[in-house]
Amino acid sequence: MQTFTEKYDLLGCIQCGRCTGGCPVTVRADLNVRQFVNDAYDEDKLEELAKLAEIWDCTACHTCAVRCPKGLKPLEVLIGLRTMIVESGKVEPTVRDALQSVLLEGNPWEKSRATRSDWMEGLDVRIADPDEPVENLFFVCCTIAYDPRVRAVAQNMVKLLNKAGVDYAFLPEDESCCGSEVLTLGEEGLFEMQVEDNTEYLNEFKAERIVTLSPHCFTTYKTHYPDLKTPVVHYTQLLVDLLNDGKLSWKGELPKKIVYHDPCYLGKQGGIYDEPRELLKSIPGAELVEFERRRERSLCCEGGGGKMWVESESKKERLSDTRIKDAKELGAEIVAVACPFCVLTLEDSMKGLGYEEEMRVAEIMELLGELMET
Amino acid sequence: MKTFVCIKYVPDTSEAEVKLNPDGLTVDDSRFSFDINDADNYAVEESVIIKEAQGGEVTVLSIGPKKSEVMIRMAMAKGCDKAVRIEDDRIAAHDPLMVAKVLAGGLKDQEFDLVLTGCMANDDWHMSTGVALAEELGVNHASMVNKVEILDGKVKVNRELEGGLMEVVEVDLPAVLTIQTGINEPRYAPIRGIRQAQKKELNVVSLDDMGIDAAAVNADASQVVLEKLYIPEVESSAEFIEGEPDEKAEKLASILQKGGLV
Repeated sequence: MQTFTEKYDLLGCIQCGRCTGGCPVTVRADLNVRQFVNDAYDEDKLEELAKLAEIWDCTACHTCAVRCPKGLKPLEVLIGLRTMIVESGKVEPTVRDALQSVLLEGNPWEKSRATRSDWMEGLDVRIADPDEPVENLFFVCCTIAYDPRVRAVAQNMVKLLNKAGVDYAFLPEDESCCGSEVLTLGEEGLFEMQVEDNTEYLNEFKAERIVTLSPHCFTTYKTHYPDLKTPVVHYTQLLVDLLNDGKLSWKGELPKKIVYHDPCYLGKQGGIYDEPRELLKSIPGAELVEFERRRERSLCCEGGGGKMWVESESKKERLSDTRIKDAKELGAEIVAVACPFCVLTLEDSMKGLGYEEEMRVAEIMELLGELMET
Repeated sequence: MKTFVCIKYVPDTSEAEVKLNPDGLTVDDSRFSFDINDADNYAVEESVIIKEAQGGEVTVLSIGPKKSEVMIRMAMAKGCDKAVRIEDDRIAAHDPLMVAKVLAGGLKDQEFDLVLTGCMANDDWHMSTGVALAEELGVNHASMVNKVEILDGKVKVNRELEGGLMEVVEVDLPAVLTIQTGINEPRYAPIRGIRQAQKKELNVVSLDDMGIDAAAVNADASQVVLEKLYIPEVESSAEFIEGEPDEKAEKLASILQKGGLV
């Protein structure tokens, strides 16, 4: 059995501080990830460290991992401490219910598995069959499947694919959560089970690629599923290929100033920065502007790392509020994102700040859906 | 302290649309998610808290189908020691008295200090199974319990009554307590704990195995005849309140006051 120090390669840390120096959460919470990496050397201290509230402030944005000169992932130390708490069972009720829902219903939103494909109602959707080879096998994501606010991402995708004549199929309702948030909430055992079950399930299908709608699923499948035999892409990659092949065309114009917010799971973790921008640039009439903090330096919206189920103790300004204020300063009329969690957090902030009249938060697929020729 | 905790596997009807089967007597549950009954989850937690403080053993007792075993294993992962699952189609499950008789059959010849149940079930809301069980067992009971203190040979419990009134009673053991939600904060059952709980003893028994005459607990024995289920017609009226925010607030407050809602 590996020790905590071995598991997270704590002796590899040179305490340079680039992790804490880049951590976006430090401006609003007492989280100091370098100190955790340092203190966790002492195995006797682990239980005490695990009880500190700030281990739940980490959004798993991976800025610390991107900045670490030794190639370590300091955030994983915090997740390891969360695991200790999860395995004792003494977690926040919201975390408990989300994890239990993943086990029982295959999604963290406490929704019935039988209703997972309800978003397809009224649409001509091709459903995947293990016996029928397909080029693009779509994995929807729990949040997009169940949350009415972001369902349009999948619905518009179906319309776009049908129109562009793409060979595709969506997984049926037995699609299960990829485990992204289970992993970062620290439920290691459940995540291991999901990797095993999902690998077996997805490997039954004969596809050239799996296309994910959420960057959380994208990064999780790419990074944590070593035995998955089908390559995984994010939908923006597929759409840029279709765009370049002349298979996508837009109707009308969207003469708006659009700023693109790089989701941490797509950018910092997935390395996808250009494709979403190319799609936005293809929109007739749109003017694409950029945040000062963009690409690898993009400011986290605090939606990842299981934070949809854990409220921070800090009452300081939410990072999503900061982000929306930055967008306002740029004069952006649309904050475009490519992640369902970013839509939810940024839109909450946009509404909370009272910018509803002059600003809109939209997933790229929502914008493209409005521009599709019928 | 030897405790039994009675739990029920129920559908979550809060999300999916409720539809009736053509027989008019049952609900189409194909689109529901199922889980432990809310109040029973608190009863499980309380039984484990008592065991952690007093020592002893907790046994789960449940009437339900095979698929409910995941709920039982979760209770065991939290600290319950063993379980009995009763499965028999002949039980008149719509009648809490019949259910109580079956549960009492499961406790026959067993030594126990405490039996905990949830105070109500999310599906039929009878709120009577626990009390009926105490009657069947011939032991004391306290219902709607939201605090438990174990004393020598008895328990001191708080009962939550209407209007926020709290009643404190001492009950001699053995006793049945029906547990109210909010008494504790139920813990999470981690998957590794659930896996370990697979090794714990779970017996599946029928009425015959328990020596219960089916004729005493089936639909013919029940005094309750389920005639029909129906979804009430929706009657609604909506009033849009106009005006400035302070006017709107005043009008709303007045409506709520007149309606006796505040």
